[in-house]
Amino acid sequence: MRTDTVIIGGGLSGLTCGIALAKRGQRVTIVASGQSTLLFNGGSMDLLGYIDGQAVKAPLDVIAQLPIDHPYRKIGTERIADLADQAKQLLEDAGIMTEGSANANHWRVTPMGVAKPAWLTLKSHVCIDDIEQLPCKRVALMCVRGFFDQPNGMLANGLQQMGFNVEKKEFTTDEITTLRRSPSEMRAVSLSKRLVSNSSLKRVADQINALAADADMMLLPSVLGDEEAFDTLQSMTVKPLRLVATLPPSMAGIRMQKQLQHYFRMLGGNYLMGDSAVSAVIDGDRVVSVTTAKLGDMPLRANNFVLASGSFISRGLTADYERIYEPVMDLDVDADANRDNWTQFGVLNPQAYSRYGVKTDDSLHCIKQGKTISNLHAIGSVLSGHDPIKMADGTGVSLLTALAAAQDILAK
Amino acid sequence: MIIIGGGATGAGTARDCALRGLNVLLVERNDYSTGATGRNHGLMHSGARYAVTDSESASECISENMILRRIARHCVEETDGLFITLPEDDLQYQQTFVDACHRAGIRADVIDPEEARRIEPAVNPDLIGAVRVPDAAIDPFRLTVANLLDARLHGADTLNYHEVEGFVINQNRVEAVKLLNKKNGEHVEVRGRVIVNAAGIWGQRIAEMAGVKISMFPARGALLIFGHRVNNMVINRCRKPANADILVPDDTVCVIGTTSDRIPIETVDDMRVTREEVDVLLSEGVKIAPSLATTRIIRAYAGVRPLVASDDDPSGRSISRGIVCLDHAKRDGLEGFITITGGKMMTYRLMGQIATDAVCAKLGNTAPCITADQPLPGSEDESIFKENPAKRYSFGLRAALGRHGSLARNIDRDNDIDNALVCECEGVTVGEIKYAVNDLHVHNLVNLRRRTRLGMGTCQGKLCSCRAASLMGEFSHDVKGAQEDLAAFLDERWKGMRPVAWGDTLREAQLTAAIYEGLCGLDMVVDTTGKEDVQ
Repeated sequence: MRTDTVIIGGGLSGLTCGIALAKRGQRVTIVASGQSTLLFNGGSMDLLGYIDGQAVKAPLDVIAQLPIDHPYRKIGTERIADLADQAKQLLEDAGIMTEGSANANHWRVTPMGVAKPAWLTLKSHVCIDDIEQLPCKRVALMCVRGFFDQPNGMLANGLQQMGFNVEKKEFTTDEITTLRRSPSEMRAVSLSKRLVSNSSLKRVADQINALAADADMMLLPSVLGDEEAFDTLQSMTVKPLRLVATLPPSMAGIRMQKQLQHYFRMLGGNYLMGDSAVSAVIDGDRVVSVTTAKLGDMPLRANNFVLASGSFISRGLTADYERIYEPVMDLDVDADANRDNWTQFGVLNPQAYSRYGVKTDDSLHCIKQGKTISNLHAIGSVLSGHDPIKMADGTGVSLLTALAAAQDILAK
Repeated sequence: MIIIGGGATGAGTARDCALRGLNVLLVERNDYSTGATGRNHGLMHSGARYAVTDSESASECISENMILRRIARHCVEETDGLFITLPEDDLQYQQTFVDACHRAGIRADVIDPEEARRIEPAVNPDLIGAVRVPDAAIDPFRLTVANLLDARLHGADTLNYHEVEGFVINQNRVEAVKLLNKKNGEHVEVRGRVIVNAAGIWGQRIAEMAGVKISMFPARGALLIFGHRVNNMVINRCRKPANADILVPDDTVCVIGTTSDRIPIETVDDMRVTREEVDVLLSEGVKIAPSLATTRIIRAYAGVRPLVASDDDPSGRSISRGIVCLDHAKRDGLEGFITITGGKMMTYRLMGQIATDAVCAKLGNTAPCITADQPLPGSEDESIFKENPAKRYSFGLRAALGRHGSLARNIDRDNDIDNALVCECEGVTVGEIKYAVNDLHVHNLVNLRRRTRLGMGTCQGKLCSCRAASLMGEFSHDVKGAQEDLAAFLDERWKGMRPVAWGDTLREAQLTAAIYEGLCGLDMVVDTTGKEDVQ
């Protein structure tokens, strides 16, 4: 099988790159091994949230302060603003409507009621532009009876500390009561499947309307399957409605993943779901083909290849007893050779492995045994030099490196 | 009388004393079973392991083994065990071993290697010999709690998070214990006619506070827990005891161990597992069950055995692995102070009996010991096992029955909220958490884990810890405390994961970080640095 570009990895970065290429007429194949880490996304994208533990107000202003090996520095400070605009537009084209801008971070509200800096947040989800000037005062937190994947006490407490006046209310409907009869069914995905029809959403609206009292805003756990369900429910509520992220699996993330996949396919992209790259043929400074688990002796051939296989979670990187390596092509990685240095004491301390990834040149080309591979880019979480946990730059790196690599490929 | 130490020995002593009508207080500086009791294999020895080298221990083990099957049914899983001979071992040893077992009264049947492979498919297929013995698996957390519950049912008081700071000694008699309440910082003094030091390896320090000297020889052992249960029988190497030669199936996981290293007494609180220990456990472990090489390791931990130097040889050359009971009145001229130490988790009941006999002798109490005959709470009544619950609640209920035995009847399961699963790996329901908080001295998530196994399964508390923290925050109306507790729980899990943080364990760690830091921002609201480790 021959296409213009083969992308290994079907998560946020792989799909973004695939969409950008397919839009410009390229034939693109994405090999997606399984679920993406969007499942742990709370409905926001972050560009750069923290430097040295301090919240960043204007991400674009501080890119130049990042270490030289950070992916943003490789892309080039001057390109970041433009790529950020493109990313927001691409999401919108896929039907993912967000608020926010790269010029100034806003605050998202986490499932535990913590305010974290964010770049873009889904329009259906709660976000706060300025924590000093809250958009409203009285909030009714609508808790689904028996739904334990939202720590309601922590969420309410966090909102109180931000300055909101929070009323916690509990509700249920016939559908939800039925679901509760099974001891393990009260999860966001199961709820989203029950809350689809107008009549089931109407029952939710009736319940929460009755509890809203004098609230300025109603907050509901993000357990709706799509934007349409949200719009329907919002049209039936007596007060403005916003969603709050839950513990995983996150319906917001699942929705974004679906929308991106759908858009990619609409553009003619080939999405090989449930397959994974196992090896590649490299000739000189070029990748010739990639072999996948399911296609076996029908390797994928292309002019360009993109590695968007993610970090350890997604198996884009592998750590064994002795070393850290990239499992498909054994590319050069930035990682300590001594296992003792991969981690440190204190689970909430910065962990070195979080910054590990494949080595790239300044155009994000991969490197194998010291030699640059000219038709293989790496994008997203498989890249070294950034820290999605402590810098809150994960989704931003995924989106922007994906677009930068696409530009590079298209310019050839 | 006052018992110092909330491990199996202290709990067993408290139960025995209470059953004989004594007025009992047990104090523990941390949570119950945090010392060697909670840091071993969870193996109910048949005694076969000691048959050749220590016939006295072997006889004690088989006798206690048979007793525990009766009195602690809900803590025991009757798996049986194999002693396998590998090509690198001497098959001649097998006959010596079997003869020694028989002399100690331990059933030991030589079986064909083919039969061994059939009954235990995980065993190294290259084995050249196998002996079947009545080893079993036992849950030491559950066992300790059951003893404490029974002690309380018979009038005893138990206090955890109370640390001994010193003694009041008057004219060669210990009259009172000075305690620090670690929860609120208060100092209290409690008077007792007899004080029993059952503090395990920490007993040396306790004795020093009373002005008497015991020479302990701390022997550290490290173990690894694998992500699922590869074996259904205990598998031992049929050779002289050595490193990493026992693999025990414990509930949903299995445990390989141990190493054995003499360590300085000053380091007994440092339970970090080293790279060298991990390497030894892994390389030896795969010889017992080759599939361990490809099984995820979920955590590593270590414990310290309280071995004691015999009194006539303070140099430590002759160290006893047996039970040591010291009446300090006879030994040191200090009245009202008894030390019970040495021994094994396996023989905790016998140690309790010996210590209680010594206490009773001092107090003139002649009541007989009945702990070998009277079942522990949870094991005394079979009726609930025959109950036929509605099918849809069966997983949580059956898991709870396994953990709490007949006491599971105290768990609310009348409505769908109480039956909701909080921990899917181990089948822990909201009702079981309520029961543990109300009846089993649960103050935090680590306590809860020891009582219910919440967070002990494959995912190591990925989502259940947050659900449970949220529930406990609602019970206590302390949300901030619940967040700190959650962070402390995750940190405690990380301590065990870090020595084996590669492969899927590193992936789990990254996932935990993605959820609790990335998504939730727990690291923004909790500061765990520099805190004393009070679990």
